[in-house]
Amino acid sequence: MAVGALLVAGPTTVAGCASPPVPEQPDPLERPAQRAESDVAMAQAVANAHPALATAARSVATDRQAHAAALRAELRRVRPSPAPASSSAPPPPPPAPIAAARRSAAQGELVGAMRAAQDEATGLVGALPGYRAALLASVAACCASHLTVLS
Amino acid sequence: MPPRAPVPVDALQRALAAEHAAVWAYGLAGAFLVGKPAAQLTEAAAAHQTRRDSAERLLTDAGAQPVQAEPGYLTPEPVTDSTSALRLVLTAETDAAAAWRSVIEVGPAEPVLRGTALDALTAAAVQATHWRVVAGSEPATVPFPGAP
Repeated sequence: MAVGALLVAGPTTVAGCASPPVPEQPDPLERPAQRAESDVAMAQAVANAHPALATAARSVATDRQAHAAALRAELRRVRPSPAPASSSAPPPPPPAPIAAARRSAAQGELVGAMRAAQDEATGLVGALPGYRAALLASVAACCASHLTVLS
Repeated sequence: MPPRAPVPVDALQRALAAEHAAVWAYGLAGAFLVGKPAAQLTEAAAAHQTRRDSAERLLTDAGAQPVQAEPGYLTPEPVTDSTSALRLVLTAETDAAAAWRSVIEVGPAEPVLRGTALDALTAAAVQATHWRVVAGSEPATVPFPGAP
């Protein structure tokens, strides 16, 4: 057999099999989606402030933007209508972040964010339905990949 | 004997086949890499052997007969130098990531199974990124490792 053939014979995505969360409970993907969005803003601020970190930071921003989009798409799929007003409504978006002045501190922010995102996604993989678990597994693996670039 | 645990046997067999292929790919690539990448290659090959053994154990525990390594593999392109050797191991990592992600997607939410598959997917993604950095290819990461 050919190395590489397994991609061709790869798995089919079963997007429709995830069971919706219990109504009124926050969707477990909400926090990872918010985290991905805030990481995008932080990484963009770092890229703008520190030319030496720009390539790595832009790469973080690009991947985390893709994560946010995929997580939001899954959230909309399960709950298409706007969430009913409740005490657990998400807070308004925070103001645009300002990158740390020192380059080492800014790099530390990127590393800390990727570590936290990997941990959060890893913690969710165990219990979620297949499609969602696989999505979070890829998010965790991607964030771990960024840690190797940043270290 | 019927499976004792509801493991995704077909997906695990594909993951095991990908690990067999990766071990073989690293063996071939080793002939074309010298210096620091060669040392890293040894480490990566050992990681695939460990994951191959994990996959075999999961299958055996489920009462399934683990697939064997093929006697030989066709490479996507001829491997003649360090550049093509790096592309070969990158392909092997990409295949392994896809196979293990599918174990998570189609398998039950069982902690040992999911944990093993996530560790393997993460390790393959990290190693693939490392080889992209060594090869100087940009971007060094992909947003959804293992996704079809």
